[in-house]
Amino acid sequence: MRGQRIAVTGLGVVCPLGNDIAALEASLRAGRSAIVRLPQHVAADAPVAGGASSTSSAAMRSHVGAPVVFDGALHFAPPRLRMLDRVSQIALVSAAQAVRASGIDLAAVASARRGVFVGTGMGGAQSADDGYRKLYAEDSERVAPYSVLMAMNNAAASWIGLEYGCAGPNLTFSTACSSSAVAIGEAALRIAMGDVDVAIAGGAEACLNRGTLVAWDALKTLAPEDPDDPGRSCKPFAKDRSGLVLGEGAAFVVLESMAGARARGANVLAELAGYGLATDATHITRPSVDGQAAALRLALDAAGLAPQAIGYVNAHGTATQANDGVETAAIRHVFGAQASQLPVSSTKSMHGHLLGAAGALEFVITVLALRSSLLPPTTNLRVPDPECDLDYVCEGARAVAPFEAAMTSSFAFGGTNAVLVCRRA
Amino acid sequence: MTETFDALREILRDNFGIEPERLHAETPLEALQIDSLAVVEVLFAVEERFGISIPSAPAASEHPLRTFGDIVAYVDRLITEQRTA
Repeated sequence: MRGQRIAVTGLGVVCPLGNDIAALEASLRAGRSAIVRLPQHVAADAPVAGGASSTSSAAMRSHVGAPVVFDGALHFAPPRLRMLDRVSQIALVSAAQAVRASGIDLAAVASARRGVFVGTGMGGAQSADDGYRKLYAEDSERVAPYSVLMAMNNAAASWIGLEYGCAGPNLTFSTACSSSAVAIGEAALRIAMGDVDVAIAGGAEACLNRGTLVAWDALKTLAPEDPDDPGRSCKPFAKDRSGLVLGEGAAFVVLESMAGARARGANVLAELAGYGLATDATHITRPSVDGQAAALRLALDAAGLAPQAIGYVNAHGTATQANDGVETAAIRHVFGAQASQLPVSSTKSMHGHLLGAAGALEFVITVLALRSSLLPPTTNLRVPDPECDLDYVCEGARAVAPFEAAMTSSFAFGGTNAVLVCRRA
Repeated sequence: MTETFDALREILRDNFGIEPERLHAETPLEALQIDSLAVVEVLFAVEERFGISIPSAPAASEHPLRTFGDIVAYVDRLITEQRTA
């Protein structure tokens, strides 16, 4: 990156694979799936798969998803809880983990030099859903007084800023599936430019409510439940891939200038070496090889690294027909002959698609892979697709020799492609 | 009056963790540290509890609401006005 070098000094997660880093690592090592049938969203009077409709209670529509096991009441007293949508609750807990893990003494950093950068696709979706249900289903205008404050997309970032007295830039990015990759990248740029000294950056999404699931289902892009095992419903890069599985969760990192981190004796987990941003500008949903390849190249250039330096790619790999083939082609374009030896995995196979929080969770997973030299697998890849012919680490978590750098890609509806490169510190 | 008094004490306890023993007629509202944003929530809970509607702008002739006792009296007045319709 131009300007100051960037250190990653803290990580925190509240995600389907675990509510702290240790739990997340254990899940990745085991190739555990967090994808389940979501019982609370079963609806009677719904069409049966295949088109025939029935009004019997046996014709039920359910969805698979990757929920977080999280009860806000265990973390927040009632008066505070009432002001926080689930998305803000998990954001706060995850950010707190990252800040604690970094060991930073924020009091030593001028408050105007502390920044918050958050990505979310849907903000306080549950609160919005609750309000609309009250209004349209119950025909009552008595919506919760704090509805606006809970639903607004900047709520999570604002609450984090309040918690840590961050008077510097407090920004929320919403670029669909790349939101939190963008947030982390933009935070790094602000540090590199010298605007802030510390950034709390990441993403949060809590969208597993009925309204959201129904809306995504209407787009015909969600995977149906795997008939043998709901946990296998997300099949990135497979010939029988059938769509994405939504997940919820939050992931945060603490970023500082490398000089500042070293000066305070921080444990530097990795260097955030590159951030590549490019837009498809071709279609509102269908991805473009050129757009993805451009972001990959820009990230490598920003990091000053040749493609050969990359030892692992955490793919966007949503398991949609559209993305996985295009992403494979984009990787081949950029990595050329080396592509066949480059391990690429989609951890969405295990934790689902966290939408606005996906970029941040996958960045955390990539940093963990770099540090441990253990690559997380692409699970559920049983039927290979000739068009997806890279090494997807489908035999299970793979121990490798230590490598210099890793890359994580997020490609979004709307076309904002964001790629991050982390490097051994 | 006593029923309203007790009910309001409960609302403040359940919503704000304020111990009922702290609430007397003379207790000044600012001592309870309920900021203007939180007042919105209290009013909503009061409306739900008593089946009344609190006007957005209290009439100019009303006494200002300074103490807990003032709130109790105000709610009682609204109950009388609105329930006997």
